[in-house]
Amino acid sequence: MTDLPASKVDLKSVLSSPARVDHSEGMSYLQSVPRRLVTLYLPLSIILLVLLFPFYWMALTAVKPDEQLLDMSTYSPFWTWSPTLKHFHKLLFESYYPHWLWNTMYVAVCATVLSIIASVMAAYAIVRLRYKGANLVGALIFLAYLVPPSILFIPLATVVFQYGLFDSPLALILTYPTILIPFSTWLLMGYFKTIPFELEECALIDGASRWQILIKIVLPLAIPGLISAFIFCFTLCWNEFIYALTFLQSTQHKTVPVAIVNEFVDGDVYHWGALMAGALAGSLPLVILYAFFVEHYVSAMTGAVKE
Amino acid sequence: MNGLTRRTLLQGGTALAAAGALTGPALFDFAKAWADTAPWKAESGAKLTVMRWKRFVPSEDEAFNAIVAAFSKATGTEMNVFSESFEDVQPKASVAANTGSGLDLAWGLHTLPQLFPTKVLKMNDVADYLGKKYGGWTDAAAKTCKLGDDWLGIPIATNGGYMNYRKSATDKAGFKEFPKDFPTFLEMCKALKANNTPAGFALGHATGDANGWLHWILWGHNAWTVDQNDKVVINSPETMKALEYCKALSDTFIPGVASWNDSSNNKAFLAGELYCTLNGISIYVAEKNDPSKKELAEDTYHALHPIGPIGKPTELQLALPILAFNFTKYPNAAKAFIAFMLEKDQFEKWLQGSQGYLTQTLNAYENAPIWTADPKNTVFSQASKRTLPASGIGTVGEKAAEAIANFIVVDMFANYCTGAKDAKGSIAEAERQLKRIYR
Amino acid sequence: MADVAIAPRAGSPKSQIREATAWEQLKHNRNWLGFWFMLPAMAFLILFLAYPLGLGVWLSFTDTKIGRIGEFIGTENYEWLWGDDVFWLSVFNTVLYTAVASTIKFAVGLYLALLLNENLPLKAMLRALVLIPFIVPTVLSAIAFWWIFDSQFSIISWSLKNLGLITQNINFLGDTTWARICVIFANIWRGVPFVAITLLAGLQTVQPSLYEAATLDGASSWQRFRYITYPLLTPIIAVVMTFSVLFTFTDFQLIWVLTRGGPVNATQLMATLSYQRAIIGGQLGEGAAISTAMIPFLLAAIMISWFGLQRRKWQQGESND
Repeated sequence: MTDLPASKVDLKSVLSSPARVDHSEGMSYLQSVPRRLVTLYLPLSIILLVLLFPFYWMALTAVKPDEQLLDMSTYSPFWTWSPTLKHFHKLLFESYYPHWLWNTMYVAVCATVLSIIASVMAAYAIVRLRYKGANLVGALIFLAYLVPPSILFIPLATVVFQYGLFDSPLALILTYPTILIPFSTWLLMGYFKTIPFELEECALIDGASRWQILIKIVLPLAIPGLISAFIFCFTLCWNEFIYALTFLQSTQHKTVPVAIVNEFVDGDVYHWGALMAGALAGSLPLVILYAFFVEHYVSAMTGAVKE
Repeated sequence: MNGLTRRTLLQGGTALAAAGALTGPALFDFAKAWADTAPWKAESGAKLTVMRWKRFVPSEDEAFNAIVAAFSKATGTEMNVFSESFEDVQPKASVAANTGSGLDLAWGLHTLPQLFPTKVLKMNDVADYLGKKYGGWTDAAAKTCKLGDDWLGIPIATNGGYMNYRKSATDKAGFKEFPKDFPTFLEMCKALKANNTPAGFALGHATGDANGWLHWILWGHNAWTVDQNDKVVINSPETMKALEYCKALSDTFIPGVASWNDSSNNKAFLAGELYCTLNGISIYVAEKNDPSKKELAEDTYHALHPIGPIGKPTELQLALPILAFNFTKYPNAAKAFIAFMLEKDQFEKWLQGSQGYLTQTLNAYENAPIWTADPKNTVFSQASKRTLPASGIGTVGEKAAEAIANFIVVDMFANYCTGAKDAKGSIAEAERQLKRIYR
Repeated sequence: MADVAIAPRAGSPKSQIREATAWEQLKHNRNWLGFWFMLPAMAFLILFLAYPLGLGVWLSFTDTKIGRIGEFIGTENYEWLWGDDVFWLSVFNTVLYTAVASTIKFAVGLYLALLLNENLPLKAMLRALVLIPFIVPTVLSAIAFWWIFDSQFSIISWSLKNLGLITQNINFLGDTTWARICVIFANIWRGVPFVAITLLAGLQTVQPSLYEAATLDGASSWQRFRYITYPLLTPIIAVVMTFSVLFTFTDFQLIWVLTRGGPVNATQLMATLSYQRAIIGGQLGEGAAISTAMIPFLLAAIMISWFGLQRRKWQQGESND
């Protein structure tokens, strides 16, 4: 047996860790540092700068005093030495912003809860019950995802009128699930498939009904999936615009995206400071949620895509 | 929820302090007395939801809210007022008309009541009462709101838009007086551009500004969308001349006008980048209210539109009619509110608060003090009298309303001036769309 | 005594063997259960998706206006649209917007994913930062862009002027070509994170040993990408790009906030034109026709991106679906 020469790479540690979690330097030792700098760090920094600059700009405008905003020759536009909370004050106390925030939260939570309940049941039925035509229904649900809101909003508007739901948050709560259910069903199908069927078999043999199996066995195991679905659906609700624009009318009922676009323009005067403050404040709940649940969010995105 | 939110209270409070007897006990007493003797008694427990366009002059809004508050207190009607931006007023009103709910009153633009002739409350009694009491209605205002002999709405006011210009720039260009005819006007714009003090007029979908100046140019050349019998006559040599003239003008404009909405020229003028435009008095008012804009305010003047080859005024001023939907539960309260708004005690204060933004449509108010308070305001008092109805020489009705709402004339000019289409193509497109509406 | 033991105890049916009742059989029948489990989801989808879809197609054959019930007019709306220049412009714009934005999103997203896949410090934080544009509601970031692309006060114009590269403010949203560039840019800005992170997850499933083997055999980094990375990523690319094309084709919010379809309809997409004609112009029938006209284009776009980059599960060692 020849003696293997001692190698730079610790073979044992590389082979024992799974492929996905690879903390070794891999093949990066093949590239010299200057080269890495140019081909990796530089483009990455540029892309990150472009991606994040609008947020910096938003935040800056939100705290800049009005005079400095429009006068770029006297004041440097990239920084301000006298930040003001006036815009936020105007946003929170002189407009209906708390109402809009409440509306958006309320609609998002209700719609998401409804959708998750419906998708959990539907996903379970398709994956486990495998009733007649289950695959067909699964495909149909996928197809439903391909019908975007901008095609449906006109006839939905007439439906909403007919049912007397116009200008009420209920209109949104009932129509958002059409966007959310296909996605979360798909996602949950993926999660349910990973739960071993044997567990359910045992429960079946012991006489549990399907419903009990769902509630007591499958759901607890699928909690990561549920959280991911919940967060992603919640984000989708916040991001929805065209239904909210078409179905809501009075100022008190509007949601944050629709209201901010309309409310801070006094005819000819664009209150950019308040607009940016509103945009920033409107993004904050989502960013905070996201910051705590990044992993779930990413697995939601990738889980649905991989399926 | 009534119109007295924190926001209106805050603003109303300052208005109280600043404008003196704008509201308060005096107005309330009068309101109560009026309510007792008015021909329309508000139903008990009435609630009115009113949509209006978003104000350009904050003090006008304050005056309006004061009237709302006084009416509410005097008649016990709960008032819910909200504002929409110019371009959203018509769609929202349309939606309410379609659903049969959501709004009682809509105070809108141009010929809004004509869009839903079967959904509005007839206002003949209110119109007669006010007309008799205040010297009659101006011609265009009456035409705008009437269908045959019925009043579909009440023309509350007109938003007068006139030439706003910087005297220093026009003086420098060699024009001591503002041009009075089209050729001189073109000369001046060219000179303004040469001095790097350009003019600019909206070519985008600006409901008030774009429709205003482009119809003036079109009609000034004796070109019309339809004739008296509603036959589509836009395809004419006069239209061609109007297009050519407009193109020559637009070549002198500040860049970017093709994307302008109603606020864009205000922004540019206030920033000192625009030196001549068509707008209401809102620019001047904003300058007066801003201490840092004092020189700008002194340099800003207003002038009437130049007269075109046709030889007489061909202005299109923005009519501001109010309508009540016939599915409202409180028709008497609606009528009472409208009448209340136009009574002398309220309306004159409102004119004052609007600082010239609103022009009366009832002839008696021509002597209101606002028009002589500042000589630069006087031009605007003529708006209702000089304007033509939005249909030009055609009949005012649903079709004319649709034509304006779809920006057909605006797009025709914009297409040619931006080079998107040639002259024949632009006219053909407009003709096609008009024919579809007027079939 | 034995007979007592053997005799059935009174009142305890459980000790008897009996046939399951029809109800109990039904309760455990898959199809029956399946039906009830599917009911909530199907109710939503039928009431608020399938029915409106059919209604939309029906509306497109009528002349319904807001404020008035319409009557059946056959294909008149479609004939009108066929001859309408603005409609065809919107079709052109939509196709252009989707094609350009999706291609660039794919290229930049893939590039970014490859960058993030390298050995980097603070990888998790970088990934989180990259996703932020996707999290923030489109409309709110569109407002930021509105301000950044303002014709008078744009920070970009100001910076370029100060660097001496241009002399006049760029008319971002007022010039037809610039407006198109701006909306495409905003769309790309928003979509790249989604593409990048999803492709990154896909990249992470590729075993490094494959790369190592290829390097030992003398492959350059381009060859590694072309022969290893890309083929293994194809299934994920197909799915991601299909979604991307779908969202971009039917985009409404971004255009609406930034330009409302202007200037002179240069950025008018089919979705925004449909809203403008239907809700603002009041022509529900015509708007519905435009929306319905979107469907064949949408199907074509999805077919192209799905079948063009077909799923090949066998390449990943699994059997075909």
